[in-house]
Formats: sequence, C-alpha cells, structure tokens
Amino acid sequence: MRVLLIEDDAQTAAFIGKAMKEDGHALDRADNGKDGLFLASTESYDVLIIDRMLPGLDGLTVLRTLRGAGNSTPAILLTALADVEHRVEGLRAGADDYLAKPFAYAELSARVDSVLRRALPSGDGSPTVLKVADLELDLLARRASRAGRRIELQPREFRLLEYLMRQAGQVVTRTMLLEAVWDYHFDPQTNVIDVHISRLRQKIEGEGAPLLQTVRGAGYRLAG
Amino acid sequence: MRGRLHSTSVRLAAVVGLSFLLGFALLGGLVYFTVSSLLYADAREVIRVDAGGLMDLYEDGGERALAAELRQRLAQPADPDALYALRRWPTGQALVGNIATLPRPLHGRSDWRRMRQLAADNDDDADADVPSLLLRQRVGANLELITGLRLRSESGFLALAIRTIWIALVLAAVLGLLLGGLIARWVSQRLRLIEDTVARVGEGDIDRRVGSDGSGDAFDLLALRFNRMLDRIQALLSGVREATDHIAHDLRTPLTRLRTRLEMLRADAPASAAALEPAIAEVDQLLQSSQALLRLARVEAQPPASDDPLRDLAPLVRDALELYEPIAAERGIGLGAQLESAQVHGDADQLFQLLINLLDNAVKYSPPDREVMLSLVAESGGARLEVADQGSGIPLEDRERVFDRFHRLEKHRGSPGTGLGLSLVRAIVLRHRGQIRLADNHPGLRVVVWLPRTPAISTGDPAGVDS
Repeated sequence: MRVLLIEDDAQTAAFIGKAMKEDGHALDRADNGKDGLFLASTESYDVLIIDRMLPGLDGLTVLRTLRGAGNSTPAILLTALADVEHRVEGLRAGADDYLAKPFAYAELSARVDSVLRRALPSGDGSPTVLKVADLELDLLARRASRAGRRIELQPREFRLLEYLMRQAGQVVTRTMLLEAVWDYHFDPQTNVIDVHISRLRQKIEGEGAPLLQTVRGAGYRLAG
Repeated sequence: MRGRLHSTSVRLAAVVGLSFLLGFALLGGLVYFTVSSLLYADAREVIRVDAGGLMDLYEDGGERALAAELRQRLAQPADPDALYALRRWPTGQALVGNIATLPRPLHGRSDWRRMRQLAADNDDDADADVPSLLLRQRVGANLELITGLRLRSESGFLALAIRTIWIALVLAAVLGLLLGGLIARWVSQRLRLIEDTVARVGEGDIDRRVGSDGSGDAFDLLALRFNRMLDRIQALLSGVREATDHIAHDLRTPLTRLRTRLEMLRADAPASAAALEPAIAEVDQLLQSSQALLRLARVEAQPPASDDPLRDLAPLVRDALELYEPIAAERGIGLGAQLESAQVHGDADQLFQLLINLLDNAVKYSPPDREVMLSLVAESGGARLEVADQGSGIPLEDRERVFDRFHRLEKHRGSPGTGLGLSLVRAIVLRHRGQIRLADNHPGLRVVVWLPRTPAISTGDPAGVDS
C-alpha cells in the first residue's frame, strides 16, 4: 500500500514512517504543503495523511485543491486542534477522518485501515446483510443471528455490532467506537466501552467460538 | 452595578437642578432686596422733604398754620397716597389726619415706621391694605406730626418683581432638572459603555473592548486606559494558557512515543510483558491526565456558550445513562432517573462530558447494591440537573476544593482518576453560565447543576442553587 505523509514535523514523520514501514507500507513524505500537493496530484497513492498546519500551503487547502481537482484518494487529517468545529471544518474540506495529535500509532493505523476499507468498491453495492463467520446482521430487519440462532440486541448494541462488522478484520479503537457508535467526542473516564464490548461479546459468542478479540494497547477486532 | 449607576445619574441630575435653583433664588433675592431698598430710599426722601416743609410751616405759623395746611391738603390732595396726621403728645389725641390706624405715641424725637394702611378712597380696590411708610416727629412741646406715603406703585412693582422671580425660579428648576438629566444621561451613557465591557469581560468574554469616540476627553482616556489594561491581561492570560497548552501537548508527544516503545518492547520480549504492563498503565494514566488538562484549558479558553444551538438535555442524559448502565450493573448499582425535557443553549459534547464525569464519580463512589439517582427538571429560565449517590459523600470543608485541579480526597488517593474530572465539570458549567453545588444526600453526595436556558450576562441567583 502506498501512503503519502505530508507532515512538517520531522520527529512525528519519522515515528509514523518507521511504524508504517514495519507494517509493510510504502511511504512517501513531503515536509510542506506545496510539495505534498505536487506529489499527491502527480503520483497515485492509496491513502494520504496530511498535517493540518503546514508551512506554505496548509493542510485544508491542499485537501480542498485535491478534491476540487477530482482526486478522491482517502485522506486523514492530523491536527493539534481537536475541537468539534475544527473537525467539522476538516471533514467538509474532504477529509475521510480526523485525528488529534499526538496519537498512538495504533490509532492512526486503525483509522488508515478504516478509511481504506470505506474507499474499497464493495461488490454488491451497499449490503443489507453483514456476515462474519456464522454471525449475521440483517440491517433491514434489524436482526442479529449466529448459526441461525437469534440474538437479542439493544439498539446501541446493534449499532456497535454493525460498526464492528463493517470494519471486520480490522482493529477498531475505543475512540473510534465512541465517535461512530455514541456520536460524542469526549474523554471516557473509565473502561465504559470495555464493559459494553464484553456484554456484546457474551451475547454473540455465548458457547460458540470467540469472534470479538481484544487487541492489547489498541482496541478490538471482529474476525471469524 | 446598573442600579448604582442609575442612582448616581439621578443624584447628578438632582445636584445640577438644585444648583441651578439655588443660583436663581439667590440672584432673585438679591435683585428683590436691591430694588426694594432703592424704592424705600426714594420714598423716604420724598417723605422727608414733605415733612421738612411742614416743619418749616410750624416754625413760622405755629400749630394753627400747620393744622390749617394739613386740613387744606387733606381736602384737596395733590397726591392721594400721601398720609398725614397731627396729634397731641403724649396723650395721642388726634387733631387732624387721614391715617386710619395710628401707631402708639412716639417715644423719642422721631422714627420711621412701616405699616399697612387702608387704600385711598379713590383707589380701585379700596378694601385692600397697602404697605405704607410713616415718619413720626415731635413738633414743639406737645405735638406729634406723622407724614407718610402709601407705597402703592412701589409695592405693585415689588409684587411684580416677586412674581417674575418665582417664574424664573420655576423655569430654572425645570431647566436645571432637564439639563442635569441630560448631563447625567450623557455621563451614564459613556460610563455604561465601559460598564458593559467590564461586565462582559468579567463573564469571560475577554476579547471585548470599550469603543473609543476619539474625542480624547476624560471618558475616552479612561476607555483607552481600560482597553490597554485588558490587552495586557489578555496577553498574560493567553501566555499562561499557551504555556499550559504547550506543557500538556509537549508532554503528550514523548509520552505517546514512550508508550509505543513500551508496546514494541512488550511485543519483542514476551517474557517481560508482565513487567511492562504496569509501565504502560502508568503512561496511559499520564496521557489521560494531559488529555484532560488540554481539554480543560480549551473549555476555559472558549467564549460563553450563548451562540451554541438550543438542545434538549434529556436525550443527552439518557445516552449517558445508557453508556453507564452496564458498568453500574456490573457493580450491582442501580441507575434511577427522573427526566423531563429541558432545553438549554450548549455544546453537546461538553454537556455529555459533564454528565459522564458526574455519573462516573457517582458510580465509582457508590457502595454496591445502592442506587444512583439522576434527575433533570425544567425550571423557569433553565434546567436543574441532580446526580445523587449514597456513598460516603464529601466533607463540608472539602466541597470547594474538590473543584481544584488535581485535588483528590485523601481517602480516594489510591483509586484511579486524574483529579481533573470535577474541574472539567465546573469549567463546562461556567462556560454555560450555570452554577454547581455539592450537597449532602444523607448519606452520600448530591451534585446540583443549574444551567440557564440562554447563557447571558448576569443571570442572577437562580432559586435553589445558593453556592
């Protein structure tokens, strides 16, 4: 996978670069907006990671220019500003996700996977039934079942499972869950999310094979 | 503040009005006094000349000539206002005269008297008394001559003067009050500009400045000085804020790297994984603290929430309850709720954070098998939120301090937490112009939060929250 990182801070860039290479991605780096825009529009990348504050041309402008030119490469904005209005502004400029600095690499990695997955052309349009191993989620009937056995879910548990199933096989962080399932941006004080996950786990796993794994230091992964 | 300003302008108007009135009264009095003494001096002169002529007549012709002359004058008066009387002294027996009410006999050689006398017969209003001036003189051995004048025109003139002065006084009073009112209004308008800014700045809107009209007068100078002071305060504040921000932010970068390195170590050397686990937990704790500190700094730096959209608190509370229900159930704690729809202007994420922090505390410190009660009541002008647990509560002397950054109760020092949860709660409440109070739940703690529907300047003291 080819990744373009537009980041002026050498340390952050080195930290991301090293981890990305360990994950087996090919990484190009630009340390200012102008070069970044040039690279992004001349080369072909799978994902762009753009710092919001850049010398020369700022990240938002780079992104807007690219989107204006019809470039729809998935992009994640990095920023030291994590306020809601900044987030909204970033998403409006065409970002697929938004990550506040500093972050754990696991968080960035999970989000890169997530935007890539969203960008993948799904074969059958938008599916109405999600499947992971023998776990099925019928989005129209709002029903979950495992190996044909019906699972009763609360509405929030349904959303939680839906999100996990859409990101099946990928690590999902707690912050991503809070944003996607609860729709609030805040600092959870304790392990509230973990308790919800363990409840869901009990419901979908029961006596069956484990499906929902805890990825230490990162989050969760649903995999068959 | 506004009331005091108001009464100051009223006082100013009154002072200006009164000074005007006093000035005019003094001027009027002076004019009246001067005019009347001039008029009296004239009258005296006339009387003295008249009396002198009569005395000469007595010197030449004796009592008989004087009496004849007087009779003659009384029969055909040249001046209808002239008064004459001749009487025996000291018995007071009247001989000739047209003075109706005679004073008592004279003691010395001569004196001046002011008396009211009946008007002359041919006068228009014959019934009225007219102020008169009389000169009494001893004539010879046993006579007393009284020569006088009715001061009819003089007194008419003086009455007119008094009337004029009264009218002038009334005019002065009205004009003074009007002028005073205008001046007071102008002054208080100028002051109000400054006062409004002070109020807004006091409420946290530090970007406000007093408008300058460029006139360079005292008010303008005050405004300029005031603005300069605000600039300085703002610079200092943002310096402190930036420093905190940078500290928190700069701490996070190395901490994040440290955490990544520890994780890599753990992955590389599974043997020492158990030993690395607590280290990672410590780093996570530090990261959480710096995150909370950053968030706190951001909330405090934001302007008041008055521009935020109006939203119902009830769904937020329900979401928070739902989020905490599993963790409470795990500890055997029941979550009870009494909610009604209550609208406030505010930031959903911040209000949710507030709820989460309060709920988290309540669930953390509630004993198992007890209930945590949450209630939301719509009140006039706002919403009242209460979170009550049945834990050990907070001693009275600690109730203010628990809002301080990093302050933790002695007995909770060992438990997880940043010591910033309630600081953040208070920062959010203040940004929404609300109030927060910690009360006794007998047993346990009851947190009472009052949020105004519209976070505006000076919300006053809402009923019930008297922290």
